[in-house]
Amino acid sequence: MKFSLKHIVLLAGLAFTLLSCSFFEVENSIDPNNPPLESVLTNASRIQINQLGIGIQSAIRNGRSNYVLVAGSIGREIYNLASTELTWTTELLGSTNGGFSATTLFNGYYADFAQTRRRAEYFRIAAENSAPGALTDAEKEGIKGFVNTVDAYTMLIMLNMQYKNGIRIKYTDLYSPGDMLKPGPFVSYEDGLKEIRRLLDEGATQLAAGGTAFGFTVTSGYAGFNTPANFRKFNRALAARTAMYQSDWTGLLTLLNDSFFDLNGAMTTGPNFTYSTTSGDIVNPQFQQMNTTASPVVAQALFISQAEAGDTRLKKVTKRTSSRALSGIIGEYDASLYTTSTAPISIIRNEELILMYAEAMIQTGKLAEAVTALNKVRVAAGLKDLATAKPAIVNDKNGLIDELLNQRRYSLFYEGHRWFDMRRYGRLTQLPNDQPNHKVYDQLIRPFAEVQWDAKNPQ
Amino acid sequence: MKQIYALLLVWIVVGGVGKAWAQDRTLSGKISSSADGSPLPGVNVVAKGSSKGSVSDVNGNYTLLAPAGTKTLVFSYIGFLTQESPVSASTNVYNISMTEAAQSLDEVIISGLATSVKRSNAANAVTRISSDELVGKTRPVTLDAAMSGKIVGANIVQNSGAPGGGISVKLRGISSINGSSEPLYVVDGVFVNNSQFATGAGSGSFSGAGTNQDQAPNRISDINPADIESMEILKGPSAAAIYGTRANAGVIIITTKKGKAGKTKVSFGQDVGFSSAIKLLGSEGWSLDPIGPEGQTKFDYVFGNGTVGSGSKTEIELWQKATAEGKIYDYEKYIYGNTGKITNTRLSVSGGNDKTKFYFATALNDETGIQKGTGFQRKSIRLNVDHKLAKWVDFSIGSNYMRTGAQRSFSGNDNRGVSIGYTLAYTPNYAQLFPVNGVYPLSRYTGDSPIAIAERTINDENTNRFIQSFTSNIYFLQKPNSTLKLALQGGLDYVNTEAEVYFPEDLQSQLTRATPGASRYSKNRSFNTNLQAFLIYNWQLMGGKLDLTSQVGTVRLTTDNDFSWIQGDGLLPKQKNPNTGSVRTFSETWQAWQDVGMVAQQEANYQDKIIGTVGIRFDKSSLNGDNEKWYGFPRASLAVNVAKFGFWDYEPISQLKLRGAFGRTGGVPAYGNIFTSLGTTIIDGQLGSVTPTSVGNPTIEPETAQEVEWGVDLGLFKNRINLEATYYDKKVFNLLNPYTLASGTGVTQFNAYPVGDLQNKGVELGLNVVPVELSNFTWTSQVQYWFNRSKITRLEIPNTTVGSGFSIYGRNQLRLGESPTRWFGSPNVADAQGVAQATRYEDAQPRYQISFSNQFKLFQHFDLSFLLHTSQGNYNSNLTIKQKDTGGTTTDWSKVENLYGNVGLPNGRARLPTNPNVTAREFIQDASYVRLREVSLYYTIPKALLTKAFGNVVSNVKVGASAQNPLTWTNYKGYDPEVSNFGNQSVGASVDNAAFPNSKRLFFHLAVDF
Repeated sequence: MKFSLKHIVLLAGLAFTLLSCSFFEVENSIDPNNPPLESVLTNASRIQINQLGIGIQSAIRNGRSNYVLVAGSIGREIYNLASTELTWTTELLGSTNGGFSATTLFNGYYADFAQTRRRAEYFRIAAENSAPGALTDAEKEGIKGFVNTVDAYTMLIMLNMQYKNGIRIKYTDLYSPGDMLKPGPFVSYEDGLKEIRRLLDEGATQLAAGGTAFGFTVTSGYAGFNTPANFRKFNRALAARTAMYQSDWTGLLTLLNDSFFDLNGAMTTGPNFTYSTTSGDIVNPQFQQMNTTASPVVAQALFISQAEAGDTRLKKVTKRTSSRALSGIIGEYDASLYTTSTAPISIIRNEELILMYAEAMIQTGKLAEAVTALNKVRVAAGLKDLATAKPAIVNDKNGLIDELLNQRRYSLFYEGHRWFDMRRYGRLTQLPNDQPNHKVYDQLIRPFAEVQWDAKNPQ
Repeated sequence: MKQIYALLLVWIVVGGVGKAWAQDRTLSGKISSSADGSPLPGVNVVAKGSSKGSVSDVNGNYTLLAPAGTKTLVFSYIGFLTQESPVSASTNVYNISMTEAAQSLDEVIISGLATSVKRSNAANAVTRISSDELVGKTRPVTLDAAMSGKIVGANIVQNSGAPGGGISVKLRGISSINGSSEPLYVVDGVFVNNSQFATGAGSGSFSGAGTNQDQAPNRISDINPADIESMEILKGPSAAAIYGTRANAGVIIITTKKGKAGKTKVSFGQDVGFSSAIKLLGSEGWSLDPIGPEGQTKFDYVFGNGTVGSGSKTEIELWQKATAEGKIYDYEKYIYGNTGKITNTRLSVSGGNDKTKFYFATALNDETGIQKGTGFQRKSIRLNVDHKLAKWVDFSIGSNYMRTGAQRSFSGNDNRGVSIGYTLAYTPNYAQLFPVNGVYPLSRYTGDSPIAIAERTINDENTNRFIQSFTSNIYFLQKPNSTLKLALQGGLDYVNTEAEVYFPEDLQSQLTRATPGASRYSKNRSFNTNLQAFLIYNWQLMGGKLDLTSQVGTVRLTTDNDFSWIQGDGLLPKQKNPNTGSVRTFSETWQAWQDVGMVAQQEANYQDKIIGTVGIRFDKSSLNGDNEKWYGFPRASLAVNVAKFGFWDYEPISQLKLRGAFGRTGGVPAYGNIFTSLGTTIIDGQLGSVTPTSVGNPTIEPETAQEVEWGVDLGLFKNRINLEATYYDKKVFNLLNPYTLASGTGVTQFNAYPVGDLQNKGVELGLNVVPVELSNFTWTSQVQYWFNRSKITRLEIPNTTVGSGFSIYGRNQLRLGESPTRWFGSPNVADAQGVAQATRYEDAQPRYQISFSNQFKLFQHFDLSFLLHTSQGNYNSNLTIKQKDTGGTTTDWSKVENLYGNVGLPNGRARLPTNPNVTAREFIQDASYVRLREVSLYYTIPKALLTKAFGNVVSNVKVGASAQNPLTWTNYKGYDPEVSNFGNQSVGASVDNAAFPNSKRLFFHLAVDF
């Protein structure tokens, strides 16, 4: 057989087919499912800015569940009796050999809040570089103030959970590629608090210059705090909370005056995280049905037995129809802070501001003012005022500190404060242990990825 | 060398010795294959000790004029065991049934995308599994189960014992950390999909286990093992280089059955089988006996805080009541203690003539699991046609439609207390969970009742799949010493899996949700095509002494995926349609990518003495950061058949081949690794954008593996003993893995980053022996031994956990100098720099594996075989016992053995991680085992009997019985050492967390050929 014409025709035909159907082409892929990040970093439209702003308000809710469950368990407010994850009742309560495992799951809040911080940072960059005319200068200032406030809120939680480990306060210049590989060093607890104060102060100044309205939609949870001027009051409340951790009592009082603090106002005033069952939204992570068996969050028994008679704040727990025991912990009461899956969660409210005011007064020796403030909270909770209920302590600073911590315990139950409060006053050893091998940690372990990062990249 | 024929004596006794005859005599007979009774044409028949010989004709008949005094006839044929038959004085007719050789040196194995080479000339140790080895002995329903223990160099792990398989195959260690370490499957030239499609079973509304924990079957389970003629396993880059960027984890080449010219053959096969759990864990009863140091009862520990009298009064009353009423149940036995039924029905018709050959097959497979409601079904129909259009052009087409279904219920990891393994661990035997008037009582012990989960939930999937292959050879030149052909090959694989996951609104675990009742309906469609064209020139030089084959070619692969689902939460009562949900969510994901490759290869063969190959492939892919960049993957190999050289005159060694091979392959990044995209979120009913917490790498390049393989193949005593010894050193460069960043930066990771290098070194030894070969008794035996050692040789990133796993119970980490599958767990110990590091434990990878396979043929009609397999030194992270200890259901719970220095404490408490001395050591457990994988006995009904009964209608009838995994020896404490939760992952695979128990199966077989 010869290499004939028909073969040549055939070969040519094949070659032609291969070339004509782009046989040798492979496409330059772009994500068909989502817009690229670059599309908002420069020349973002007002619509894109608005969506980023809404995105932050959604993302800031992340990490809440892990944070309050972990802080609540170590602060011996609640236990998560999860039969599917026994570390909640073992490792977290201090019974595991060697403390926290290096890769513990109890640092979940850390990544979540750090991500919110990063997202806020992107939001600021997108606003700064937005398309001409998309935002006014005042709106840009407002966004900066908003971002600094969000930044500080997340950092304070991370810092309190990490405590003496400290946190990183600097990490970013997104304009220089690869910079995220070079985060700044960890700073001490005290320096961390200082930076948080600074961010809040800077934010307050920016909010003051933020004009009459934000350049993006502020969601319903911030009703009453949805203009730069009102939002600044929320900012000042967070600054006051920070001052409390710094024991800066005079600073705290000044900040309270700029916040929405109202000694005679409703306890509940303040911004909230909102939830819904809408597709794509999330539900209240602290809501639970009563009497479940898989992983009920139950109250530590002393929360009920140590309460003063008639305290309406005991509504925050509900007696189970049958107790639940796991790993030697018996749960008689379910945590029932939120009665529906769409109930909002308070970020910071007047009740806490009044208690902060009381604490500052005790610490600055103005015991009468402190008693007045404490009485506001007591009466709101259905209790008698101190003069009647505990006359012995009204002039006793130490007695009032006990009372303050107790009011904070009941007013802010399962909201992530108790552990830090007891730590501030060096009282962690007073927290109860349900099993002899339990122990109360004073801080979380530094996250595995952070430890390994620094081991590989010495500062 | 007669004296070494070990059982000559037996032969004399069995066969007798013929008398010497004084003159030539004419001997004749018919030669057939023992496997299916088909006639064997072209068999060489020689009168031993003479030069007289003959060859069988197309019907297998032969006649031979044998010299006087012929005592033995020798029958030999490529691919079959050489057989001898004693010649007696009384008869001149000798019908012979020949057995296929387990591993023939003359069989042909793949050497390129379009060329192949004789095994005796191959430079790589390529494992070939014949149809008979794969499913000829016992018949597991899915292909993956049929491969276990048969591939030297493979580590096969199961990720669920549920029907439908779910197995991962790792050839020569893992070859990727993040990407798939699963080999590429090629069926008749079609690159087929072996994904596990998401069903949503692990999502928050259902088990909450997490993404990638849906425990779905892999799609290779769609392929009907009975259609397979052979499988060739290219284990490493040196053999698979020509497959380029898809071949880092090796290639499994599957060839399906083809028709043969001759009489049309109709074959019918029926198997009936039964399955049962290999092992159940059992559960301890309850009592008020004081077992603790202060007299605590079991109730005080499990339903109290461990102090005397703290045990829940309610529980004690429930127990007493159930005991009094005799209502104590073994829930595990109720759920997993059932007998599954398996039926396989096959019908094939094949035949043809010189021009056209066809093979048509249909099969029905149906397996019900050991848990009620679980099962796997497959309906398959296949038509393979080969046609010779003209002297210079031929083509083949193969069409295969499959419909498979799997019902897998819920097992394994879980976060909502619904997985059956979890619920059983916490359910005491006095619980009352059986339905009363159709209402399932709520469980007091974990998120849901195991009975309700088993009987009321749905986790089903159905797949429609069509695989079409096409090949054609066009000869431009057909001369005695040169041919030039164009080999075209193409194919498509269309697979559409529809999955339904459903939890009724009144299920206990749904009652706790804001929107009870959840139903998800997923459709996962994947469409893959491949097209290749090769020009192959074969020419001879030096008067035919040097045979050269040159090839150039090109390949194009495309994938187009569409994954979508709709979910309804808050369903209307008794409604399964997601549309009836008060909250409806849906998702749509598109993926598409293309690869193009160009290949050139030169093979040279000098008189079968020296055989060399050099080749290179260039690939580009849309998955790479730079879609226009070509990556080169070279290969070179050399085999020297020392025994074929003239100087070789040592007769006992009939084959001595030294071989070496080098090759490179690649692994493409996963789809989407180059993207950094915004996500969406909703708050207050408004759509928001969130920036990603992980970022893409737009400059990502493929990971590459490079392997050097050395080996010696030795054939002794006319190849009755074959030894194949291989050493390989496989290095994977620029392993792609997420680069975990400092989490405080708010960016979790780069989705893909070249993080370092990995080395896999190992040895594979295979010994094939025919210890006895007589007309009435043949024994063939194979022993295989292999091990692999892995080590991270370069690490650019901080130590990082990889794969899944549960912190304190052990996780895999990437660490310099360590195996990526090594376990690390509590306690933490500060290293030299003062950084707390987890303690190092053993490796999940076996120290070594051995398989021992034996086939016996007795009196021409009985076939007995068994396959023993052992894996030694592999460790699992076992959480199952811990769950049971917490729930008080381990069988030795109340025993007091002072474990971990906990004096007086019952075992069920002493072993828990609440005790300071209990570390990950308790959970990282030796999962070594010895397993009788397969045993079978078949009887082929003698031809004479058949002829008497059916005339010429029935040509062959075979009956038999077999068992899969009938016996296991292991000290492992879970259900099964092979079952793991994350078996589908490269690393972190060997975590045993309430997995579905593995089954043993018993079969009865009938095969009839017409």
